[in-house]
Amino acid sequence: MKMVEKKRKSRDVKKHDRPPKFNKTSKFNKKSGKRTDEKRRTGPRLPQALRKELDRVNPNDQYSSEEDDDEGVRNDVYEYEEGVPEEESKKNRRFDSIENYEYQLPEDFEDENVVSDDDDNDFDGVENKIAGRDSKRGDLDKLGDDVEDEDADDERHLRMLQGITGMPSQAFEGRKKNKVVVSEGYPESEYNPTRDILDGDGRISIEDLMESIQGKPGYRELLNITRQVEKKGKLLQAPLPKEDRDRLERKAAYELSKKDITKWEPLVKRNRETPTIIFDKDTDLGFSTVGAIASEFEPRTEFEKKMSSLVHDDKVATAHKEDGSKLLELNKISLEDYVNNRNHIAKMRSLLFRHEVKMKRVKKIKSKTYHRLLKKERLKGSVGMPMDAEEAKELAMKQEFKRAEERMTLRHKNQSKWAQRIVKRGLDAQDEGTRAAMAEQLHQHALLTRKMKTMKDSSSSDDSSDEEDSENEGGSDQDEASKLLAKARDKTMQVLEGDDEVPDSGVLSLPFMKRALKKKKEAADAEARLTIQDFELSMKQMEDTDEAENSKTGTVSGRRVFGASKMQVKEPKNKIRSSSIFSDSEAELEAEEDIDVGLGRTDGMQNNINVNSVLLDVDASIPEDSVLKVSEIVRDPGHKKTYEVSILQSDAWKKMSSSCPNEVDTNGKRSRKVVEPAIHNQDVELKEEGEDSDADSEGQMVDGILSPGHISSYKLPSQAELIREAFAGDDVQAEFSKDKEEIINEENPEPEKPVQLPGWGQWTCVQKKKGLPSWVLEEHKNAKRKREEALRKRKDAHLKNVIVSEKLDKKAEKLFSGTLPYPFTSKEVFEQSIRMPIGPEFNPATAVRALNRPEVVKKQGLIIQPINYEDVDPHERGEEHRGSGQKQRQNQRIIRSQGRVKAVVAKS
Amino acid sequence: MGVKQENGDPENILPPIEQELSHELDTKVKKYLRGEGANLEVLKDKKLKGQLSVREDLYGISAKAAAKAEKWLMPSKGGYLEAEGIEKTWRIKQDAINREVDISSAKNQYDIVLPDFGPYTLDFTSSGRYMAAAGRKGHLAVVDMKNMSLIKEMQVRETVRDILFLHNELFFAAAQKKYPYIYNRDGVELHCLKEHGAVTRLQFLKNHFLLVSINKFGQLRYQDVTMGEMISNFRTGLGRTDVMLANPFNGVVALGHSGGTVSMWKPTSAVPLVKMLCHPGPITAMAFHPNGNLMATSGKEKKIKIWDLRKFEVLQNIPGHAKTLDFSQKGLLAAGTGSYVQILGDFSGSRIYSRYMGHSIVKGYQIGKVAFRPYEDVLGIGHSMGWSSILIPGSGEPNFDTWLANPFETSKQRREKEIHSLLDKLPPETIMLDPSKIGTVKSAKKKDKPTKEEKEAEMEAVVEAAKGTAIRKKTKGKNKPSKIAVKKKKIVERAKRPFLEKQMEEENVAKKKQKISEEISLPTALQRFARKKATA
Repeated sequence: MKMVEKKRKSRDVKKHDRPPKFNKTSKFNKKSGKRTDEKRRTGPRLPQALRKELDRVNPNDQYSSEEDDDEGVRNDVYEYEEGVPEEESKKNRRFDSIENYEYQLPEDFEDENVVSDDDDNDFDGVENKIAGRDSKRGDLDKLGDDVEDEDADDERHLRMLQGITGMPSQAFEGRKKNKVVVSEGYPESEYNPTRDILDGDGRISIEDLMESIQGKPGYRELLNITRQVEKKGKLLQAPLPKEDRDRLERKAAYELSKKDITKWEPLVKRNRETPTIIFDKDTDLGFSTVGAIASEFEPRTEFEKKMSSLVHDDKVATAHKEDGSKLLELNKISLEDYVNNRNHIAKMRSLLFRHEVKMKRVKKIKSKTYHRLLKKERLKGSVGMPMDAEEAKELAMKQEFKRAEERMTLRHKNQSKWAQRIVKRGLDAQDEGTRAAMAEQLHQHALLTRKMKTMKDSSSSDDSSDEEDSENEGGSDQDEASKLLAKARDKTMQVLEGDDEVPDSGVLSLPFMKRALKKKKEAADAEARLTIQDFELSMKQMEDTDEAENSKTGTVSGRRVFGASKMQVKEPKNKIRSSSIFSDSEAELEAEEDIDVGLGRTDGMQNNINVNSVLLDVDASIPEDSVLKVSEIVRDPGHKKTYEVSILQSDAWKKMSSSCPNEVDTNGKRSRKVVEPAIHNQDVELKEEGEDSDADSEGQMVDGILSPGHISSYKLPSQAELIREAFAGDDVQAEFSKDKEEIINEENPEPEKPVQLPGWGQWTCVQKKKGLPSWVLEEHKNAKRKREEALRKRKDAHLKNVIVSEKLDKKAEKLFSGTLPYPFTSKEVFEQSIRMPIGPEFNPATAVRALNRPEVVKKQGLIIQPINYEDVDPHERGEEHRGSGQKQRQNQRIIRSQGRVKAVVAKS
Repeated sequence: MGVKQENGDPENILPPIEQELSHELDTKVKKYLRGEGANLEVLKDKKLKGQLSVREDLYGISAKAAAKAEKWLMPSKGGYLEAEGIEKTWRIKQDAINREVDISSAKNQYDIVLPDFGPYTLDFTSSGRYMAAAGRKGHLAVVDMKNMSLIKEMQVRETVRDILFLHNELFFAAAQKKYPYIYNRDGVELHCLKEHGAVTRLQFLKNHFLLVSINKFGQLRYQDVTMGEMISNFRTGLGRTDVMLANPFNGVVALGHSGGTVSMWKPTSAVPLVKMLCHPGPITAMAFHPNGNLMATSGKEKKIKIWDLRKFEVLQNIPGHAKTLDFSQKGLLAAGTGSYVQILGDFSGSRIYSRYMGHSIVKGYQIGKVAFRPYEDVLGIGHSMGWSSILIPGSGEPNFDTWLANPFETSKQRREKEIHSLLDKLPPETIMLDPSKIGTVKSAKKKDKPTKEEKEAEMEAVVEAAKGTAIRKKTKGKNKPSKIAVKKKKIVERAKRPFLEKQMEEENVAKKKQKISEEISLPTALQRFARKKATA
């Protein structure tokens, strides 16, 4: 407590006179100052009386302390003598020591000066000082009366001294300063150290030490040295602990390296931003040309050196040069020489050419035998080869000719002179070769004749006679047909005239049977007669239409025998087929499946087919049946008409030219047969013709009577009808909507209606009233809502006539990404980023490579060197990583050259 | 990397012609950019942003290069007939066209009369160089259209309903009376596809190497022609049909049925992807626009309809009957009926088809099939008396891409291409309505979680399995029936446990959700009280 008081006093003193010296010598840190400030502030007040007492007990204390502070140098001697131990002075750790002493010796602690020093040192600026003073002043104001008391005390003390000694107060003041050194009133010990120590300024300065040796030899030098040291004003600080030092060092190093490393930033940034880093961009491929290699050549061995010395010898070079010019001179040729030379060459060339041409001709000339053999070969070859119709025909003709020739000349039947002679001499007498030749000849003959027979067989499939066949061969189709007709007529006549053997016994012998048979026969006869007429007519017709006939019937087969009638039969068949084609069904399916054509009509067609096919069968053999059938045809002219129409409707226009006359001729036939249907038919015909004339026949190739006029005549009335018929029973719309509903229900099943379990809640009316539990109802409602939502979300929700399946395709699922790929955060961005195809099919060749370049391009085995520093403009966005590549290249060069040197070393 | 295009600075003021050119180029670039790039500003990830912007730059470069290539390498534009004054394009006859065109084009007007073998059907290779023709009565022919030479002709002596080329002209398939067959160019029968049965119509999916057939019983079959594997076999259940066509854009196969519906199929689903009621009557013909967005159908009720396949809506109703329809590469629509072919065109770009040309062949000839020849302004018409070919200006694509189809292909190129296309063969599951969606994120699954019943069933199955496990016999005292029963119980419990735990978890989650929703339902000022109540 007392200490605090003292402090306060000392501060006042200090305010009045501050020794400027101390600023220099003593260094204190802030902490202590602060602390003292605190103490000063918090110091309790002591009663006046008590303080006086204390003063009396230790009257010199404050003065001495003041003196000590002011003139530290003076009392150094004393202190030195005292021999303050080092640990007490604690030069290294001043603060701690102060603390120690403070607590140890509280009443002696007087660090007012120290505080002032501190203030000076720490608050370097004037302002700070002022502030400090202000604060002090504030303190002073606070403790106003205290300070006054102290002042009064001092004054009193002075006065007292003056009174005792009779000296002026100035002297006392000066003395007081001097006195401080000696005014130690209590023994120094560990517990009572000098004030210097207590101040924390207990260091022994050099001056202290110097004083003791003052005047001794060498003193001045020492003094000079010390002054110099002082001038520099440097006091060596004790080193910081290692950790701190290291930390500081690291910190500094970090700062430095940070600064250093930031220069790499743009470089690294560029590398990171480039889509592709190319490492082997400028790889040196070494020498590219022989010349380059040669230029690098250095002679090493003796021989090489010798050679190079020779080659590079000046003399040799000049000689070579001169020689070259000489040679050039020699190269000159006179015009005459040149012309001569050229003529010579031209001559030689023409000679050569002539020779060539000659040889070509000579080469072409072949011997007779050669040609014969060749011909044989060719013939053989041609027999085996497949041919088209033309060729085949030609061949057949040739064969035929040969055969004829053979038959005429019998050349191979030992008719020749040579053969006859041999036969005469006897075969046995001949040598083997001759015999073989004979045998060969005979074989040839046999072959020819045999072939003839086979040809005959194939040409006549019927049981007709040979001569007929031979006639047939040459004749045209027309002739054939007429002949066939004649034959048929003959046969019919035979049937007509041929007596019928009525059996005498059996059922047929019964009288009524006989009668019936007779009747039948009569009818048949009538029919046969008709048929004969028919035949005759058709023969006539044939002659008429002869010129109109197409020559296209070259491929007619044996079945063609029946000519007109056959054609007629064939026609409807074709038509049926074609109509079936039109409705796109097989012939067998046609009857059931033909929906666009009326049923009755189809039946009619069917009938016709049957009729005609039967007619064909019957026509030649049993006349009575044919009559029946024909009459059937006649009976149903309406059908016939539609049938024809349907023919036309279907695309049965093939064989127009050939079929049309037939059609006509059948019609005519019919008209002759029965009168009234003929009229019908005629009518039809007429109508057709009329329509034909109506229709413009531009570009019409066919001159048939049946013309496209039918189409219009048919289509106009019946199309609407057809449509009506076709769509009569269909309610397509309803069917479809039903279908849609089904599919929707399948894909989004309707929630099951909540059903009460049987017996549940039936035994009390209470429960019944309550009905189903609420949660069930709610669930049901939820499910319903969900379904409705799903239905609303369907693609086909607003499209009445469309069903878009929403079934998940599990197989296709792998083609989609399950989650958003890593760096992306929005689906939209991701999908837009993949919108462009990057393949070569979709991009021009110049862009494909850039689009598909990998992140790092480098050759296999290339060593990637660390990047070298280079200046990069951080703002430019370079795409290429040129620098590193170059560096790379340089490094490689070095490596390579090193390698080469090594290699060289190894070699030599 | 060195694709640095010298792009003209937009600041520079260009002369008007160049401006126009640049504008033209811009539109082309836009086309090749295939839509807008994503807005990268919203991205927070700097790295991704950088990467994407680099990509976008590359795309831009590519699009620009493509646009330039298009401009300079594909200079020829398809022309079309233009009428002056009171002229009408559909009054212009083939003779008139013949007088105007060059010899090589005029060569393409001809009629081939083959009266014997019934109506002909035609098919062109994708390059338009070769044509296969099949007569109903078994006449098959392969013709080189460039030099008009017959490559192979043969007679199979039975009904042939359809013919088509496989991936190149070396192979063709014919749907014959009982089975479809595959022949090579020399007419050698390579395969008889007995499984397909009596096929009415064939289609070939070039990118997938799938041969598609519909047979008399309405069975749709997909067969891989590379390995011969039968990919799928569906019963359409919609009756017999001979209207089948593959959408060239996505490979979806459409069938036209007698009920007036069109169903679209893919090989990996047994139910049609789309089923739409197009006509009240049976469907007679169908055609797809090459871009896959338009479909034309014709019904027996004398109507041709044009559909937008993205919205499944009718765009246009055209009166008229068509037995056969075909879209050309440039989008002209040919409709053949009777002996008349009508060509409809859409030159305004409004997708409204109007009469463009017409051609009537000899009266009485029945048109069976019309097919535009690719890369030529030629329409092939197969009819009952052979086939004809007429000129339709503006029908074919004027510039061909040799990567895609080369009419002047050498055999070596063909071989190369065959290998390439085999390597690029797409698996059948890539056939879907919108193939551009491939690679995107799966849409939220409809059935993400298993239903309650399924879960229960699963648990039941596990429990059953656990019950079935035989208990090992142990030492003497431990085989008592009571102990065994306890053990069994334990086993069952153990098996059940994971399920129950999962259930608990879900319930907890649900509860939490409920809580949250409760909180949300309260006004903000009252929410904390609600929580307190819940805890208290």
